[in-house]
Amino acid sequence: MEEAKPLVLIVDDNPTNIDLLVSTLKNDYRLSVAKNGTKAIDYAEKYLPDLILLDIMMPEMNGYEVCTRLKATSQTKDIPVIFITAMSETEHKTRGFEVGAVDYITKPFHAAEVKARVRTHLSLKKARNHEIYIASKIQKALLLGQPPKDIDGIKVAQLTVPSQKVDGDFYDFFKVNDKCFDLVVGDVMGKGIPAALLGAAIKSHFLRVLNELSLTDKEKFPEPEKIVSSVHSGMIDHLNDLETFVTLSYSRFDLVKYLFTCVDCGHMRTIHFQDAMDTCNLLQGNNMPIGFPGQDTFSQISVAFSHGDIFIFYSDGLTEAKNRSGNLYGEKRLVDFVMKNARFEPEDIINKLWEDIVAFSESETFYDDITCVIVKIEKESSGRSISYESELEINSELKELKRVRAFVREFCENIPETLINRNRINLIELAVTEVTSNIIKHAYNKRNDKQIIINAKASNEEIALLFCDWGKEFDPKSVPPPVFDGSREGGFGLYIIAHTVDEVEYSRNDKGKNCTCLKFNLTGG
Amino acid sequence: MELGIEKIGDITVVKVLTDVLDASNTEEFKADIAAVFEKSKKVLFEMNQVKFIDSSGCGVLLYCLRQFNSLGGTLKLYGLQESVRTLFDLVRMHRIIEVFETREEAIKSF
Repeated sequence: MEEAKPLVLIVDDNPTNIDLLVSTLKNDYRLSVAKNGTKAIDYAEKYLPDLILLDIMMPEMNGYEVCTRLKATSQTKDIPVIFITAMSETEHKTRGFEVGAVDYITKPFHAAEVKARVRTHLSLKKARNHEIYIASKIQKALLLGQPPKDIDGIKVAQLTVPSQKVDGDFYDFFKVNDKCFDLVVGDVMGKGIPAALLGAAIKSHFLRVLNELSLTDKEKFPEPEKIVSSVHSGMIDHLNDLETFVTLSYSRFDLVKYLFTCVDCGHMRTIHFQDAMDTCNLLQGNNMPIGFPGQDTFSQISVAFSHGDIFIFYSDGLTEAKNRSGNLYGEKRLVDFVMKNARFEPEDIINKLWEDIVAFSESETFYDDITCVIVKIEKESSGRSISYESELEINSELKELKRVRAFVREFCENIPETLINRNRINLIELAVTEVTSNIIKHAYNKRNDKQIIINAKASNEEIALLFCDWGKEFDPKSVPPPVFDGSREGGFGLYIIAHTVDEVEYSRNDKGKNCTCLKFNLTGG
Repeated sequence: MELGIEKIGDITVVKVLTDVLDASNTEEFKADIAAVFEKSKKVLFEMNQVKFIDSSGCGVLLYCLRQFNSLGGTLKLYGLQESVRTLFDLVRMHRIIEVFETREEAIKSF
């Protein structure tokens, strides 16, 4: 599809001038005409022309006023305005630039000059838009990470509002294991594509360092201070060459120890809302930003957290959002906001925060990128998803029964005592013994060189134990019901299984794999 | 399997010295207990070491009961741990074998 010609709005109260401009530009552009300031502003807000030619001397509202109003409105503030007027004194021209015009053409004008200036400013605008487009693409694709989805007990929400100029705000998440993840939030000093690319480079350097450090020590995931030190030493020369630096905070959430560990390098103070105390703490480290020379080691701080706590990470774009009178949104206002809204879900907090910033600044576009990441430690009672998973592989030997019970017992220890008691665990041990020995005795016909895989999963609602074997098919009809008079020794296994579990399912696939699934309800039972 | 045999009058007390009686060791138990069958008409199993019994374990106890009965003897148990009692309730073992809390009660009952 052919690109539409640019739309140029001509604002003038003099019909002769209008005719002249129209005949000069009509072949190259789509044109609209407004005969006074009010109509010009209405039209500009409605149709967003690509460029405005604005007369200064007009009745009611003059050109300076029109321009000032256009520049104060977020949708129209980036439309280039060229003044056209008979007033040629320097102070008039200067005033025009002060109110936000990009150029000035004096009457009487030459058609060629008008054409040339309009063309120049339209192509500048196009180039600018293209740069913003690329920078915001970089930001979306490279600078902003996705939170880990499979870590239970936390909820994460993010806010990113790219400014017209895109700076190098970035964040990313690194999963350490099912109960632990890292979050890095950073801000590159500088704007535009260079800052965005540098942010992306730092992010990828983190991945590289994580990879290298975990290869050298496979046992233990590296400490945050070690990670940041390595990134610093790898990036310092580049950052010095570019004469820039990066503020960041690298944090680890350990959901086993309930410990938050953070290396703060001159970043905005992280807000820690403590649910039990109903207070906010501002967490701050004492490291210099990445790229500052003379710093070789970085130190981390640790704080304990508990259920219902939230952590708020943000860039300076948020606290430095300005209102019309030039006041900043500020850390205090943010803390007050958090105190008031901390009990909502992170997604709702983010939405309310956005509304609050917009209400404060009366604008939806900002000079700086606004980035905010909220991590909430879910409450146990409302957290529907405690979740554990574990797997055991055994040989088809009866002496392995002990290991199977130990596996189940250990697995059950992960589950809060409020959901499962000792007696219940005894019954589960009993059921798994019966299933396993049935598989060994019947499916594998006592051959001891085969495998059984047992997978255990638990949620708040149930425990599910899945037994897989590759032996004979099981036919429940072949098993006689138990006799309770002591006349027979066997036949109790299935009866025990049926009376200890809440649900049992058996299936066999076409590759000869048998699956027996036992389910134990944890709620209401 | 270790079995501690003790004579109290005409009663043979067999201490079942294993913490588990399941499919992995019931054959062994069967073999080792056979020696007791001939020698005694009144047999008491002391169970307080046993933490876990499965259906095979129940099966082997029933086997013993039948063996003693067929030879005109009796088998009683005492000292069940909670987890074992849970299973006994489930498969109604208490209806078939006499079970006592303490050794004294059990011995008195013969």
